[in-house]
Amino acid sequence: MNKFSKKGLSMAIFIFVPIIFLWHPSWLGFLGVQPYWPLFWLLPWSMIHGSVNGLIYGLFLGLILDSLTLDSNFTQIPGLILCGILFGRVKLHSDSLVGHFRYGLICSSGSFLCGAIYFSQILFKNFSDSNFLLFIPSVQNILSEVFLTGFFAPLICSQLLRIFKSIDRKV
Amino acid sequence: MLDIRRISTNRWWHKRRNWIFFVIFLFLFFVRISKGSIFKDCYYFISRPFWPGQFQKEVLLKSIDQETLVNLNLLKKDNLRLRKILSLQESSNNNISASVISRKTGSWWRQLILNKGSKDGVEISNIVIGPGGLLGRVNNTSLFTSSVTLLTSPESKVGVWVDRIQINGLLVGVGDDYPSLIIYSKDADIKVGDIVSSSPASTLLPPNIPIGIVQSIGEPIKAKKTAKISLFAKPHAIDWVQILQVKTQ
Repeated sequence: MNKFSKKGLSMAIFIFVPIIFLWHPSWLGFLGVQPYWPLFWLLPWSMIHGSVNGLIYGLFLGLILDSLTLDSNFTQIPGLILCGILFGRVKLHSDSLVGHFRYGLICSSGSFLCGAIYFSQILFKNFSDSNFLLFIPSVQNILSEVFLTGFFAPLICSQLLRIFKSIDRKV
Repeated sequence: MLDIRRISTNRWWHKRRNWIFFVIFLFLFFVRISKGSIFKDCYYFISRPFWPGQFQKEVLLKSIDQETLVNLNLLKKDNLRLRKILSLQESSNNNISASVISRKTGSWWRQLILNKGSKDGVEISNIVIGPGGLLGRVNNTSLFTSSVTLLTSPESKVGVWVDRIQINGLLVGVGDDYPSLIIYSKDADIKVGDIVSSSPASTLLPPNIPIGIVQSIGEPIKAKKTAKISLFAKPHAIDWVQILQVKTQ
């Protein structure tokens, strides 16, 4: 029972990701763009449980977020899977201060990767209409997302990592 | 020695009254330099309630509003009659009011989630309008909610009408707040400030719903002219919307 309740906390935080993705708190935004929330959960989870687990949960997150957004032509799954695999290869750092900055940098890179993959899908879909040039200015979405994700990651990821570690020890 | 002390205490700058005069002088000098702008501004605010014509202006505006309303009703009736003659699509009056329970108006995913779903009669491809004009189309419904693809979403493509030059175009969401209008004619005389509304030829939208205004015009690409459109309805600030049930032909 105790084991389930401890695991349940990680899953409750997992479920909170799509909720905050839908909630879209505008006061946390920059140029109308939000941080890429799933990475805040995926980074500490993959760091503790490894690449395979990261891949699986990246897929799960991608499936949930795709079902919440209306874009039937574009998907977030490839980006999140890739991030899950890459984050699983990141080693925990003993120096907490360096670790904090690393979370920011890694999440920013992950956000850039996901944003670039999503953007390339949009460009690819509109390539045949030769309207793809119209989409170039929306690169600002990627840049704002990268900035915000990197800004909030040290704060959120370090706390989640601490929670996941303590759960892992107790279980 | 005593004489010196007496003289020094009687200097003009030791008297408060002199300083008051000096400050008043400085103030008046400033008033003179500024050509009385402070007085004029004060007078503006003090005399504002007593201005002649304020009441008169309200009466005139009310009359103009009434006249516009009567004209609008006459034109609506005329429009309906002509549409019936031409057997074109009619505007529907089956509106459902709904409130916005979730909104994503930034990044790539631009959508609203409304608190009315299939149990309230909302159907996929219904039109959603807000204060100002068209917001988007219902793309998905659940029992209690419906999701709206905004015009700014990269998924959105709708046919529009530029009234001044009487030409159809395609409004494409590009993932920022200003969707792009594509006109498939290099010589189209589109100008900044032109009004864009839903196209009478569109089978997806009811005709003549205001959408936005041309904000800037881009360089022609391959016999196409593009322009950025500033939308009338602001999805990031709207809490209540109307869902129009469209009769498809």
